[in-house]
Amino acid sequence: MIAAILFRGLVFALLWWVLAEGRADAWGLGVAAAMAATLASLWLLPPGRWRIGTLPLLRFLLFFLWNSLRGGLQVALMALRRWPGLRPAIQEISLALPPGAPRLLLLNALTLMPGTLGVRLSDDGKLQVHALDASLPVAAEVRTLEAHIARLFGVARGGMP
Amino acid sequence: MIEFASAALLVIGAFFYFAGTVGLLRFPDIYTRLHALAKADNLGLGCVLAGLALRAETLATALKLLLIWPLALAASAAVAYAIAHRAETLGIAPWRGEEEP
Repeated sequence: MIAAILFRGLVFALLWWVLAEGRADAWGLGVAAAMAATLASLWLLPPGRWRIGTLPLLRFLLFFLWNSLRGGLQVALMALRRWPGLRPAIQEISLALPPGAPRLLLLNALTLMPGTLGVRLSDDGKLQVHALDASLPVAAEVRTLEAHIARLFGVARGGMP
Repeated sequence: MIEFASAALLVIGAFFYFAGTVGLLRFPDIYTRLHALAKADNLGLGCVLAGLALRAETLATALKLLLIWPLALAASAAVAYAIAHRAETLGIAPWRGEEEP
């Protein structure tokens, strides 16, 4: 708990430094803002629910950057081609991730992955995915993203942590 | 060198914005247009911000510019889902395609 408070306070102080563009003339206000933000974050997102390691986070960020690049390139080429070659379809995929933050992250990241768009996520973990080109391996892309998110949150797919 | 990298990133960013807008105009239905807007524009924004950050005078300013990207990503991903979800609730069927010549 103490570690979480210190860590979050440090992150918010850093954030203030960035927002103030490195100026130090209002540091009193900055300290107050960082403390208020830490309190709010402890209230809204109590520590200890999910443990995210540094290495899994870096791996996920690399995976995410690479795939959003692929996704952007793919859709840009489709838009500029003479015949875009769209074969859209909605597919249903059952998620094995636990509810809460992991599913939310998957849903939001999916929008930026190649060819996929989340349309409806029901409480039982059934996800409707709109695919730009249904002849591409859409389900496999979702599964790969799911595996990365499971590793990021340190949860086994198919069960609660 | 930094000048060149920054200019290249800005041009690449403009390209993705252009492609995203062309997709918005050309794609046939709401779902496919969301794909174009969300993916291409976010990549465009990322490139433009990286290009501007290279030109920033201080480290803090550069980080501030880069901070915009994840915030805009989160907002645009959530909004894309909200629009797609609403469209599906209203019963808007996705475009099924027609044979291309």
